[in-house]
Amino acid sequence: MTGRLFRSVRKVFGACGAIALGGAVAVTGTLTGGAALAQQTTVVGETYIPTIWVDPDGCEHWVMDDGWEGYMSPHTNRQGIPVCRRGNVCGVMNSDQLFQTDSANINAGGRKHLVDFFREAGAVSYIITGHTDSRASDEYNMNLSMRRANSVARLAQQSGVSIADVRGYGERMPKASNNTAAGMQQNRRVEIICIR
Amino acid sequence: MKSVKIIAVVCGALALAACDAPKKDKTVDRGIDKKHLSQLKAGVWIDPNGCDHWIIDDGAEGYLSARLDQYGKPVCSGTAPPNTATGAYKSGTFVTDPV
Repeated sequence: MTGRLFRSVRKVFGACGAIALGGAVAVTGTLTGGAALAQQTTVVGETYIPTIWVDPDGCEHWVMDDGWEGYMSPHTNRQGIPVCRRGNVCGVMNSDQLFQTDSANINAGGRKHLVDFFREAGAVSYIITGHTDSRASDEYNMNLSMRRANSVARLAQQSGVSIADVRGYGERMPKASNNTAAGMQQNRRVEIICIR
Repeated sequence: MKSVKIIAVVCGALALAACDAPKKDKTVDRGIDKKHLSQLKAGVWIDPNGCDHWIIDDGAEGYLSARLDQYGKPVCSGTAPPNTATGAYKSGTFVTDPV
């Protein structure tokens, strides 16, 4: 009697194992290597479905707990841009209010505005990025946005704050359409990212 | 037929009793400190280049992931010297780590 019970318990456990393995081993999917060339292949692997952890900056990470091990990696799109629920941009300076056309010299009003901004912001450090609209050449805009970002960064350092990075993105990261005057004005900007 | 039913019931019970081996649901921590992984608490680790990573010591599991700005570049905040970890990265669990 005991022997029979033991055998049937073993059978039940064995079947459980088989079910668990069956669920884990074969992953069949369609790998599409181009619109015209789709073929069915069988991949040997285990299913690892992540969940999402949101970091203190508001950006998403893939996360998995495998029992004893933990895994994590930033959630970016295929262009390498992180997927974030909110950004760390704490200031957007309208370039028209800081600079003359084609110039990287900050006017008196702009200097005061920026010094006040950095006095109030209170972050650990700042990333300064310059942007332009799409008029003029890409090369010219990359250069102008960099010079303007550097001007803002220099003033920030003079006000005693720490600068983590300075970049010029030219016309490559528009935040509005360049087809309207209002959109172009929004694109002419210096963004300040606050790192806390 | 009856044994199939028994197997199904026992398997279900085993899965519920966290006997999900190999562990298929990777989105939860089934340890003593059970929780969904969205609850993890991070600190900042500064790599040898001076750039920030999110670090989480969750008892048995450790997690590390790059801190990126909205353009996808590493954030190198200068908040601490290279090769240091700061913040409450051990605060998300009551499972102590003897090492």
